[in-house]
Amino acid sequence: MRAQFRSRIRLVLAFIVLVALSILVRLYFLQIVDGQEYAQKADRQFAAGGSGLFDRGAIYFTRKDGTLISAATLATGFLVAINPQTITDPEAAYAAIAAVASSTLAHDAFLAAAAKKTQVYIEVAHRLTDTDGRFLAARAIPGLQVLRESWRYYPGGSLAAQSIGIVSYGSGDTLIGQTGIEATYDGILSRSGDSLYKNFFAELFSNVSNLLVNTKDVHEGDIVTTIEPEVQTRLENGIAKMNQRYASRESGGIIMDPATGALIALATYPTYDGNDLQNVNPAVLGNPLVEHVYEFGSTMKPITMASALDAGVITPETVYTDTGCITVDTARICNLDKKARGVISMQQIIVQSLNVGAAWVATQLGQEKFRDYFAKLFGQKTDIDLSNETSAMLGNLSKPQQIGYDTAAFGQGIAVTPIQMIRALGAIANGGVMVQPHLVSAVRLNSGIVRKLDWDEKTPVFSPTATRETTVMMNAFVDEKLNGGKAKIPTMSVAAKTGTAQLIDGQGGYSSDRFFHSFVGFFPSYNPRFIILLYTNDPQQVTYASGTLGSTFLDLVRFLIDYYAVPPDRGLPAQSGFATTTPS
Amino acid sequence: MHNFRSPLPFSLVSFCSGAVGVLLVTYIGLIAVVMSYATLTVEFSQSVKNNEATVAVLEAKYLASVARITSTDYSVEGYAIPVVQTFVPTRSVTALR
Repeated sequence: MRAQFRSRIRLVLAFIVLVALSILVRLYFLQIVDGQEYAQKADRQFAAGGSGLFDRGAIYFTRKDGTLISAATLATGFLVAINPQTITDPEAAYAAIAAVASSTLAHDAFLAAAAKKTQVYIEVAHRLTDTDGRFLAARAIPGLQVLRESWRYYPGGSLAAQSIGIVSYGSGDTLIGQTGIEATYDGILSRSGDSLYKNFFAELFSNVSNLLVNTKDVHEGDIVTTIEPEVQTRLENGIAKMNQRYASRESGGIIMDPATGALIALATYPTYDGNDLQNVNPAVLGNPLVEHVYEFGSTMKPITMASALDAGVITPETVYTDTGCITVDTARICNLDKKARGVISMQQIIVQSLNVGAAWVATQLGQEKFRDYFAKLFGQKTDIDLSNETSAMLGNLSKPQQIGYDTAAFGQGIAVTPIQMIRALGAIANGGVMVQPHLVSAVRLNSGIVRKLDWDEKTPVFSPTATRETTVMMNAFVDEKLNGGKAKIPTMSVAAKTGTAQLIDGQGGYSSDRFFHSFVGFFPSYNPRFIILLYTNDPQQVTYASGTLGSTFLDLVRFLIDYYAVPPDRGLPAQSGFATTTPS
Repeated sequence: MHNFRSPLPFSLVSFCSGAVGVLLVTYIGLIAVVMSYATLTVEFSQSVKNNEATVAVLEAKYLASVARITSTDYSVEGYAIPVVQTFVPTRSVTALR
């Protein structure tokens, strides 16, 4: 019995020793025999010059069906570094690198780097593809290291570039968001860099709480925007074509859901490609939609009209005598064509875009009420989730001269940002309630939790009656005036207004032949799903905004109706079941 | 002089040897597990990054296709602007989706 037990024990011991020996042999081969090869392989795969791989959260577009498409993500590839102390044939090394790398050091600079025998690590080429990197590594050129690297990549190139923003080195040696969403949400997108892997057992003994609940997972994550990539593409394409056609200094556009403030597309021209910043003019890196102020001209008239209707100082049936020009505080205000219209209704102020009429409405409203409405609409920043938002210039409304109010009534003498403008006009589209424009709908945390952002701040400005009456006027503008009535869509009511503002001439006055054009519209008029604001600065050889922006606006309206299958809200006769029109 | 006789049915030396063996194997096994865990974690992490990069390339192609379709001038491609547009109370068959 005892002998049998002993033999069993020996058997078990022999087995244990065998297992231990086999593991030791395996470790010997892994660490000693093939150790160098594995170390190099690990270097190629996971190291980058001693500082961990660049890591950062993603930014997503949201397609209309809810699918997320990367707006900013990470690309991985290889960098090439040389060790001047071990490189044996710099010429051959350079030839090998130049054969696969699209950009590397110049030949002379490479040789100079290779000659620095006091250094052991000099990076000479970046962003090699996986195939090229592995090919170069396989050649095992002495003194050449092929290391893993990752970098910020924008799959859409220039798509929504100013909104998405860029990352670059700030004051330190860390890449941080500098503009756009990259800057606003840098705290969520940034990664601490030590999370590549953890030693489970070390964590278990030293930092149990962090192992169970990682505090970084609570605030690090990805950003989900409200930008729809196909709508964004359409808007950018329309803006770029229009800008090039009229040789404007700059142009821009915004498409927003007036009920929620979700920005579906924002575009400016000129723009840039976030993947290629080497030759970009720094001036275009900013976002004019929130950083620049403009005198918008007659697109301000619906706001003046809604204010007066809301205050009860006029009704849609009110009439006035239009004389073509008036004198206020020794200054002269005229309709753009300087023609008198005689006794006409309020609607015609919007339809015919009469400056004298808008000034008359402002006078009826009175300075105090006018100031109150405009301060409510433009007095504060929108608090949009983009960096460097600027404030409106409303200085004329703090002075007692009536001329400041009369000109503000048709959008001259005060300057606001495009984002402020669409928010204010959105109040007309949204039953008098102003919403908060925003770009980000949710944060997808590393923990897996999707945290929806709260953008429910709503500011009542006008009564629903006043906004409906203003909408009727804007709707009449499209149906009767725009393109001579040919812009009318039989099955869809569209409310819109053009604006043609004179640009300042730099000598204290306004230019007579240089203009800022704007165009705002929303549809369906009485339950809008979209509001569109377009502008172009200093277009050449054209006077009126309907000429520059009208076709772009209508193209966007038709696209959105088709793309989102917006159901008709009018004009389908019950008998025939269809309506026809001749395209303009 | 009495011979000491262990009450256990096996020798203490054998028991200690076995325990040392087990501890040794456990120790080596622990090292192997930690190393494997670290390697796998890094490999998985890198694999996720590679997959994300691959997806990004596909997304770039998709966005480039959208841009190409949007910028296509159909009149240049030989299509004519319709003489009359008809609006019907059904979903457009030319809608993108």
